[in-house]
Amino acid sequence: MSLWFELAVSGLITGGIYAVVAIGLNLQYGLMRILNISHGEFLMLGAYLTWLGYTVLQVNPLVFLPVVALVLFVVGVAVYRLCFYRIVSTAPAVEVIEARSLLVGFGLLYLVQNLAYLTWGADLRGYSFLAEPLEVAGARFSLNRVVVFGFAVGASLALLAVLRYTLIGKAVRAMMQSPTGAQLVGIDTKFLHPVVFGAGLALAGVAGALLSMVYEISPAMGEPYTVTALIVIVLGGLGSALGSLLGGFLLGLVETFGMHFTSPSLKMLLSYSVLIAVLLARPKGLFAR
Amino acid sequence: MSLRHALAALLAGGIALAALPWLLSDFLLALALSCVMYAGLAVSWSMFCGPSNYLSLATAAFFGLGAYVTAWGAGALPYGLSVLAGGLVAAGFAALVGAAVLHLRGAYFAVITFGLGELVRHAITYYEKAYEGTVGRIIAEAPESTTVYWMVLAVSTAAVATALGVRASRLGLALRGIGSDEERAQTLGVNARRAKVLAFALSAFFAGALGAAMAVRWTYIDPPTVFNPFIGFQTVLIAMVGGAQTILGPIVSAVVFSLLTEFLRLQFPYLFLVILGLLLILLVLYLPGGIASLFVRARWRRGNA
Repeated sequence: MSLWFELAVSGLITGGIYAVVAIGLNLQYGLMRILNISHGEFLMLGAYLTWLGYTVLQVNPLVFLPVVALVLFVVGVAVYRLCFYRIVSTAPAVEVIEARSLLVGFGLLYLVQNLAYLTWGADLRGYSFLAEPLEVAGARFSLNRVVVFGFAVGASLALLAVLRYTLIGKAVRAMMQSPTGAQLVGIDTKFLHPVVFGAGLALAGVAGALLSMVYEISPAMGEPYTVTALIVIVLGGLGSALGSLLGGFLLGLVETFGMHFTSPSLKMLLSYSVLIAVLLARPKGLFAR
Repeated sequence: MSLRHALAALLAGGIALAALPWLLSDFLLALALSCVMYAGLAVSWSMFCGPSNYLSLATAAFFGLGAYVTAWGAGALPYGLSVLAGGLVAAGFAALVGAAVLHLRGAYFAVITFGLGELVRHAITYYEKAYEGTVGRIIAEAPESTTVYWMVLAVSTAAVATALGVRASRLGLALRGIGSDEERAQTLGVNARRAKVLAFALSAFFAGALGAAMAVRWTYIDPPTVFNPFIGFQTVLIAMVGGAQTILGPIVSAVVFSLLTEFLRLQFPYLFLVILGLLLILLVLYLPGGIASLFVRARWRRGNA
């Protein structure tokens, strides 16, 4: 029983991180059709910023979290302005935006990842933070994983609340439903696009900061998360933030249980099998209406 | 240019390129091999993805499957036959998968085809570890490097010839119709499913055959080498930067990219991927139609002069 409990909790912890990464990517895709394949590289930047903050400035990573989010938000607005603005405003059709943003994403991936290699080298970096064990109902977890889970779920729910209850959230949802209709009622694309893109990167940065508290970090750490995030948003449905949250948990659970009962080398195989099975059965995602 | 002229030009180009082993040093020949391979891959990719506007990231999967066919058949199959078999296995796999996933579009299709590559890679890794007790395979008897070059050149030339043929055929028209408006094409009587599966399998055939032909270049192959997503990405980048709607564009772009990559790698070993990334972004932003749009613009200017 306690084994099942332990597996379930660790699956949910992994899933919480997946959810944060995926929601950011999904917002960008849902709103602007930008399929940013370099999303994970910004997660990596967030992780390195936190690591620098902890080792150089001796700042508590949790305190540093808002700073990381803000920095990545600004980076996001700049990246949007420099790279994606031109694509979104000149492309003749939605499919063209998808294809070109994918290419630019590859370019950013090479650029950011290799700049990180040049700056910090390929070594794994890490620090120890809140590593003491915590016992809940006979199962043991290190405290930092529980904190990470709490913040990941908190960030996801906060974002869902923003989307649901605030005016800007309403504007974002309107843009997703009908870009033309939203513009007709006076929603400003020029303001909303950079803000949402920045928010997506801020979420990636937060995810990276959280990950750095638990795992060792390296310049290549982001790529697997991009792939997982793509799987999660397809599972949950493109453009649906709630779908990404649930999809993230689902994938986290499938991976943890699957790895325990089969073999760790099958982890990716399991995620892809789930993805393909879901796409074959429900091409619009599990939670599509 | 009519189909016959294009084929004649291709044949002449192929024969000229076949003479390269006598003219070039080993290093330059390796460079030429990489140009020819990427030209073949990019043309085979744009054969389906260009006109139909489907974004497939499965090239690495087909390439790797082909390479593994060579590795599994090493010793039992002659080189030429294993290249053919590699192509056929990849085409069969593409037809099977295509029938299942080609109703998806846009990002869904891109993600699932990327997933397929990873799926095959992990499946082969697992199979080899669990049932064969090995991680990679050694190819003991590799043919001469000039033989490999001629084989890759032959496959790539065949890919270009097929692409020219497809473009001039009903299949090419059907794909273009699907690319501009799939529902309308279907209403007008195009069997979209059959056209897509056929073209997807055809494009996979050449990627698989190139994988099978290239496998002997690495004396040791393992899944991370042959299913390297970089090969797939590079192919898509080359094709799209060249202009996937055309056939000449991807060929020119393959040569430019291979030479540029090699030059940057030698000149700036640390900065080269940073520069490549930056160049890619600038190209997409300021030359969105690809290299091919330069020829079109030039021709248009000449026509008006």
